Amino acid sequence: MRILLVEDDAQTARYVLQGLNEAGHNVALSSDGRDGLFRAAGEDWDLLIVDRMLPGLDGLGLVRTLRGGGIEAPVLFLSTLGGLDERVDGLNAGADDYLVKPFAFSELAARVAALGRRPRRSAPETRLKVADLEMDLLARTVRRGTQTIDLQPREFRLLECLMRHADQVVTRTMLLELVWDLHFDPHTNVVETHISRLRGKIDRGQGVSLIHTVRGAGYCLGASA
Amino acid sequence: MARLPRVFRTSSFRLTLLYAGLTGLSYLLLFAVVYFSTATSMERQIDASVAGELTEIQADAQSGGLARLREVVRELIGRSPDYFYLLQDASGTVLAGNLPATQPLPGVRQWSRSAHHPREAFSGLRGRGVGIADSAYLFVGLSTAQLHDMQQTVVRAFLWGLTLAILLAFAGGAMMSVSVLRRIEAVSQTSRDIVGGDLKRRIPGRGSGDEFDHLAESLNAMLDRIQTLMEGLRQVSNDIAHDLRTPLTRLRQRLELAQRRGDGGDHSEPVLEEALRDIDTILETFGALLRIAQIEGGARVAGFTALDLDELLRTVSEVYQPALDAKNQTLVLQIEPALQVRGDRELLTQLFANLLENAVRHPPPGAHVELRAQRRRSGVEVTVADNGPGIAPEFRQKVLQRFFRLEASRSTPGNGLGLSMVEAIARLHDGELALLDNEPGLKVSVTLRAAKAQ
Repeated sequence: MRILLVEDDAQTARYVLQGLNEAGHNVALSSDGRDGLFRAAGEDWDLLIVDRMLPGLDGLGLVRTLRGGGIEAPVLFLSTLGGLDERVDGLNAGADDYLVKPFAFSELAARVAALGRRPRRSAPETRLKVADLEMDLLARTVRRGTQTIDLQPREFRLLECLMRHADQVVTRTMLLELVWDLHFDPHTNVVETHISRLRGKIDRGQGVSLIHTVRGAGYCLGASA
Repeated sequence: MARLPRVFRTSSFRLTLLYAGLTGLSYLLLFAVVYFSTATSMERQIDASVAGELTEIQADAQSGGLARLREVVRELIGRSPDYFYLLQDASGTVLAGNLPATQPLPGVRQWSRSAHHPREAFSGLRGRGVGIADSAYLFVGLSTAQLHDMQQTVVRAFLWGLTLAILLAFAGGAMMSVSVLRRIEAVSQTSRDIVGGDLKRRIPGRGSGDEFDHLAESLNAMLDRIQTLMEGLRQVSNDIAHDLRTPLTRLRQRLELAQRRGDGGDHSEPVLEEALRDIDTILETFGALLRIAQIEGGARVAGFTALDLDELLRTVSEVYQPALDAKNQTLVLQIEPALQVRGDRELLTQLFANLLENAVRHPPPGAHVELRAQRRRSGVEVTVADNGPGIAPEFRQKVLQRFFRLEASRSTPGNGLGLSMVEAIARLHDGELALLDNEPGLKVSVTLRAAKAQ
């Protein structure tokens, strides 16, 4: 993926740059808001990672200007402003995701991958399929092979989320946000217990397990770990 | 312009000046009314007496002609000393009377002081003249000395009164200003003391319940609040310093250990992982503190909307259901339908998540957890109850403090901020939070205001 990172803190920039390069992305760096805006508008990017507080032009202004100019490249905000309202402001400005500093690199990598995969304005899918697991989004049914699996609404959403990001790591935080709309981290193993219950329904008695735990990062659904 | 003494620059003194001016003006008006109305009424009285005297004289001398009239007038001069008479013939010769000859003008006349007059006390007179037979002229007048005396008395009294009133106004104003200044000075002095570091100082009140006492009360209440906040802040910084030392010490030990073991290699992997976990714990604690501070800041109130509490509670309970199941705990839900409250969805979700989390974490496996929500007169009451170890009454207030953890829960993960956040969110929503005894166990009751019907 071609990624533009707009970040003024040299150390954070190096940390992100190095990590994303290792993950096989092609990352360019811009260290102030004005320059970032020109580069973001002037070239074609798969993803923009933008810090909220930048010299020259702040992140919110940058994203608003881009969106106003019709540039639809996905935007991920990075910010130390972990406040309650800042996230909403960021998303309202037109960002697609929001990550609060400090973050684990695995979290950033997972979100970058998820954003890069996001289909741009394609027709909505009605059917998801991973290996022999099939999900009908209209009839809201799930089948594994020939066997119909009965899921509760929230389990359905959890599985849908995993299937949409098949073969990608989905972190606990991402699941909390996407499935339960929770924007804080419970101490109890809420996600783990839900996953293990879902596993019981999807993978139990099957030769191949589809839901994998990625240590220190999150979960991944796919035929191969 | 030279600076006036401070007393004269106060607003109360300026007010006094204004009042003194107004008093003077009303005095002046009152004086004018009294002066002119008494003068007019006295003149009228004189006119009436004179007219009566004239009629009487004419009646007495009705048949005798001018000669008889002369006799009557002469006789009267001896008898009534207050009156002045003049009888003159057509040629202007005085026939009788104690006044000099004059123009024979009929009607009311006023004579001012005259040097020619025979009587010493003459100070002006007022009377009436009539033309009678043979073009003779008869005039009867009364001395206006009394009138003048009266007028002088009124003027003198007025001047004394005015002087006294203005003096009193000035003296009173100055006294009032001094007393106001003194009380304001007390406020300033207290403020200076507080700025100087004596935070316990309060503004003294007189107990008279006047506006200065009210001001002092309000200011003292404000100072109390500031002091509470300051103490809270100090306590939090102490707590942060204390509570973060433990994980930081642990982190330091771990890293030191890894360093001592040598070159890194395979040994360092688990150490680093644990170190990262320690750091995450610290960061999470900071995050939670920041969040509480933001909630207490109150800016979120602007984004309050009406929301379905029953749906929110069901969602939260759904999140925790598997975790409860994993500990063999049963969850009983008793939620009335259509419970509308006004608030922030995210924060209320966090509030009940924190309560359920405690109910999952602290009671032993197999415990019983109940989540109830019902309409009350005061709003909507939500209770989260368990039959775990509960909280002893003496600690129920303390657990709301930041970082406070019961000894029994020290071994379980957590940062001692969960209930602090619950309290902050409840307070932001103007709700009531109560920790009760579930006999056995803990029952947390949160009462939120019902959303007003649109």
